[in-house]
Amino acid sequence: MACWRDIPCVPQDAFKHADLRSFPAHETAKTFRTSGTTGEGFGQHHFRTLEIYETAVREGWRSAGLPAGPFLVIAPHPDEAPYSSLSHMLAALAPREAFIASAGIIDLDRLRAVSAPVCLLGTALGFLHLMEKLGTEKIPLPPGSTAMETGGYKGSGRNISREQLYGMIADLLGIAPENIFNEYGMTELSSQFYARGPRGLHRGPPWARAVVADPVTLQEVGEGGTGIVLVYDAANVGSVVGIRTQDLAIKRGDAFELLGRDPAALPRGCSRAADEWMTR
Amino acid sequence: MNTIDRAAAIADAAQPFRSVLGPVAAEDLLAWLGAELGNREALDRWVGHGPGKAKAVAPRTILHVVAGNTPHAALQSLIGGLLLGSGNLVKLPRGGIIEVDEFVSRLPDALRATVVVSEDLPPGWLAQAGAVIVYGSDETLARFRGLVSPSQVFVGHGHKASLGIVWHDPEFVSCDGAARDASLFDQQGCLSPRVFYVREERPGFAREYAEKLSSAMDRFNRSHPRGLLTVEEKAEIANLRAAYRFRAANDLRVALWEGGGNMDWTVVYEEDAWLPASPLNRVIFVKPLPDDIARAIGPAAGHIGAVGLFPCTEELADRFASLSPSRFCPVGRMQDPPWTWHNGGVARLASLVKWVDFEPSSGLTA
Repeated sequence: MACWRDIPCVPQDAFKHADLRSFPAHETAKTFRTSGTTGEGFGQHHFRTLEIYETAVREGWRSAGLPAGPFLVIAPHPDEAPYSSLSHMLAALAPREAFIASAGIIDLDRLRAVSAPVCLLGTALGFLHLMEKLGTEKIPLPPGSTAMETGGYKGSGRNISREQLYGMIADLLGIAPENIFNEYGMTELSSQFYARGPRGLHRGPPWARAVVADPVTLQEVGEGGTGIVLVYDAANVGSVVGIRTQDLAIKRGDAFELLGRDPAALPRGCSRAADEWMTR
Repeated sequence: MNTIDRAAAIADAAQPFRSVLGPVAAEDLLAWLGAELGNREALDRWVGHGPGKAKAVAPRTILHVVAGNTPHAALQSLIGGLLLGSGNLVKLPRGGIIEVDEFVSRLPDALRATVVVSEDLPPGWLAQAGAVIVYGSDETLARFRGLVSPSQVFVGHGHKASLGIVWHDPEFVSCDGAARDASLFDQQGCLSPRVFYVREERPGFAREYAEKLSSAMDRFNRSHPRGLLTVEEKAEIANLRAAYRFRAANDLRVALWEGGGNMDWTVVYEEDAWLPASPLNRVIFVKPLPDDIARAIGPAAGHIGAVGLFPCTEELADRFASLSPSRFCPVGRMQDPPWTWHNGGVARLASLVKWVDFEPSSGLTA
């Protein structure tokens, strides 16, 4: 094999159907699970050690130029979500006391009490719940505050654009859209890709690569071309380095523009997509 | 125009769309009207009804709200409205549906004047409609249902999925028909099967059926190539193939047949009985028929459009009644519903009309 691009990618779905680990099962220190919303069961990512994972989280965060904290987290702590890689990732960045959404209830008083610039971390759905809870109340956070959101709205019946979400966060919390970051990650990976602002492009840390590839030939598309995202993550030492994701993106230089599902897209005929009712 | 004249004009305008609509002669339309209203002239004159007579009164205006961008639902709904002699307000999805425009342009002036097409929902359309027909998701149906008044007729058609059941076919004679069902219209319609459940007549039979079906899919594709795919659709199929290729390599209960290097067709054999999520576009699943199919398909029960049967017998239809489709039909004819089909379990014309009764004075004293 002459080049990392020659590494064959495993379909993301394979994590649902096989134990992809490069070490004996009894040495498994931690297993993260995907949410498993499509009725097929969930995917599992096994780790022999979380040391490399946590280092990748922290160093990836630093190399992307994200703020060092202090943090407030509107997502469950690993104590409440032991199989969630996202919770674990957030706990690798923020201390226990930074988690302000215990049992799914966001403690607004912790937000109201903020007196110095802070970095809010959470899922997109978590931010949406926060906006709804605030209603018309505004809690302008100190200038210099930032936010990082991740994940989609799958299974929630919700779908709003990044622009809309960032506009709402700016309006109610006073965080400028350019100071809001999106994280692209998944249970099957150890590393994350970040984009800054509502139109930002995603980039990864030095040890990970994303290739936008033609879904049929798996050859990298040309500049501005659309394809599926292949991720090569050297931090995935205990599982699989090359993963063929189910996400679409546009190649933009050395980065990629993630394509969310277009909410304005025409429905295709009257044949119902089975996952439409299975993700409820 | 009376009913017979309207039927003739509609049939004439619809001829270029027979590949979508099936046979659409004036006689087909009049027979449909006769089957639903009891008399094909019931809209034009008093017809016998019990001891007296009755006449059917169509809504002055029907609002058709069509969600999907395939022409089937829009044309069928509009043709029903035209046949009844109603005015028709047609709300199409963004981007429109070119077949609808072409069909309307082929109508004679008197009928064309009764149709207005829009990609928006102009203010006032809902209020002026005597009947509202909506095709769309459960959420869309609920929204419109909440907007209509008690005096308006509301007919909602939710999205559906269809499937086939092969009960007894030792010689695999249904495979070509199954391939046709799964390939026509690239599975975009609610009558398109996404899975065939095959009874294990002998061990391994369902898997064997899947292999024979793959050959039939290939034959059909040679004479009827599929439509163009967007990059998103290609990606969906490629992802599914990659996932099942991986599984097939690790699990003997899974097998995959892939047509061509260009995503032409895909057959997946899988022993899990659940109704699979499918990227459509000629991706068909074959699964052994479970003992309790309604239970096996879980949340999809209640959303089944048609069930193709082989052989198609009343006994088998009764056996699978718990699937609650609105149509049992032979495998191979799933895409050819007659005009009289009770789509969604509803008599599509009869549900829209109201009746006025007439009792003659003869025999009564002043």
